[in-house]
Amino acid sequence: MKIEASGSGQNMQPLLKVENLLKRYAKGSLTGAREELLALDGVSFTIFPGTTLAVVGESGSGKSTLASCLACLESPTTGNIWFEGKDIVKLGERARRQVRPQIQLIFQDPASSLNPRWSVLEILVEPLILQRKFKHEEMKQRANFLLVRVGLSPDIVEQLPTELSGGQRQRLAIARALSLEPKLLILDEALSALDCSVQAQIANLLMELQSSLGMTYLFITHDLAMAAYLADEIAVMNRGRIVEQGPAEKILKQPQHETTLRLLAAVPRITRAALPAVEQ
Amino acid sequence: MSTRRTFVKWLVALGVLHGMVVCAGFLAPYNPVEQDRKSPYLPPTRLHLADANGHIHVRPFAYSVRLRVRSFDQYEEDTTEPHPVKFFLNGARYRLLGFLPCRMHFFGAEGTRIYLLGTDAYGRDQFSRFLFGGQVSLLAGLLGAGLTLLLGLCVGAVAGYYGGWRDSVLMRFAELFLALPWLYLLLALRAFLPLAVGPLEAFFLIIAVIGGVGWARPARLVRGVVLSARERDFVRAARGFGASNGYLLRRHILPETSSVLLTQAAILIPQYVLAEMTLSFLGLGVPEPAPSWGNLLSSLQQYSVLVSYWWMYLPALIMVPFFLGYLGLASSLQERAEAYKIETSSLGSLT
Repeated sequence: MKIEASGSGQNMQPLLKVENLLKRYAKGSLTGAREELLALDGVSFTIFPGTTLAVVGESGSGKSTLASCLACLESPTTGNIWFEGKDIVKLGERARRQVRPQIQLIFQDPASSLNPRWSVLEILVEPLILQRKFKHEEMKQRANFLLVRVGLSPDIVEQLPTELSGGQRQRLAIARALSLEPKLLILDEALSALDCSVQAQIANLLMELQSSLGMTYLFITHDLAMAAYLADEIAVMNRGRIVEQGPAEKILKQPQHETTLRLLAAVPRITRAALPAVEQ
Repeated sequence: MSTRRTFVKWLVALGVLHGMVVCAGFLAPYNPVEQDRKSPYLPPTRLHLADANGHIHVRPFAYSVRLRVRSFDQYEEDTTEPHPVKFFLNGARYRLLGFLPCRMHFFGAEGTRIYLLGTDAYGRDQFSRFLFGGQVSLLAGLLGAGLTLLLGLCVGAVAGYYGGWRDSVLMRFAELFLALPWLYLLLALRAFLPLAVGPLEAFFLIIAVIGGVGWARPARLVRGVVLSARERDFVRAARGFGASNGYLLRRHILPETSSVLLTQAAILIPQYVLAEMTLSFLGLGVPEPAPSWGNLLSSLQQYSVLVSYWWMYLPALIMVPFFLGYLGLASSLQERAEAYKIETSSLGSLT
């Protein structure tokens, strides 16, 4: 099930190749009966450098489990994840710690992904300290650079994340993830908790970063409209399986699976008649 | 804001009370182990302003007392000469804060002795014994609680963070400790250890015993906090930056337990002071003649003392504000933690 991303050459090496990924959660109950939950049921896809793959699905379809597995935060039950030609599933904890910085995860709720007790500066330099990338004096400079890069003012370094708006927080989370210069950025419902106008701003920021830094995104969402806006390719997930996959335009214009149809129907549309007359 | 103010209020009140105990040598007029065999069970000294001739004095004064004729425990005042109360006068030598040699006492009188809380069977000043005993009892409570919290933090962090079989083993062990009645456990542990030990050894023995008994509850609380903190997004994010387990525990997870630990400390310290008092009351604590709050109350075990000498109850009465202070501190800490939780969760939903 290998599908080449549009725009990238056939001979290009994929950045990420996922093969037959399976994740099973065992829920042991007191009575001894073991219930099993199949969060991922044979997921396969490929992402090429500099492209965006959107994984779209309803809640409970296994999208977030996929994100955790790819970011090396959880281990899949079976299957392979080839990152730059190396299988990262079989690595030990120590080796995984080397891989993790290269695959960064942006969470849905920026309020909980930033430690509420830490200042913006502390949050921003944490990855740099952990990776020992810079000297102490350089870190502040680097932090300022990153803040400007994502459209934030360097004046906020002393503030707490609770003092920032939702959009500012998500920009901060993106800046922090970028500080390690990751090769793959996984956005796990990264826009869903934001206001519509802020969503558009962050989406534009992501596109701008992609064109300037050549970033590769895995964009996980339930919002098919946003997926179509950002992604080159869309994979639709349902109950742990990819039910439909292809170039974004094709998925949108000729949806095949009922899950895709359902998600398409859920996209809000403003018809001309519904708009107030003043706008015309 | 107001919860913060009540918290500070209780903290200041406790600070003042503990300060009094810390400066026991200065505030207490006499040496706590010094005996006055001529005046056992002397009631609290009366302070007068008007003397026997009806003259009013500016300075309060006391009369010296003598045993009433044909009586063994009834005293009467010798009204011939008033002894005015003096402040900042020199008296028995002591070491302020344990190391500064000093002779100055806050109050006293020349020619007679002032016993604010009366004397015990050996004629020792109860007020001095109360203050010096507080040093032993409160320190035992503080150190015992510190030891318990340290144990609880370690056990809870390991159980909550690593989970799996470590969690199961540690928590079953904790449940075992929770199920045991602590007083009997204390008595059993104390009985197991040598009976006759020096005051200092006894002191540390008590701390080890009471500190080692109560770790289960804080361990379970810490485990709960660690368990939820471990799955927080900012912890997962830090793991994504290549953080080690030690780093995550130290920088992100254990700071989350601080409010639980503070509240537990405010609950455990008075509980452990009481535990020390219980052991001393039963004669298993710091041995006489060293004062401790338990020793002070242990004379109340005798029926004759109970019915004849009412001032022997007074130390127990003065201990009450200490315990009330800790109670107030614990409840204000609880409120503060609750307010913090509401504040952060509402901020989260506002985005």
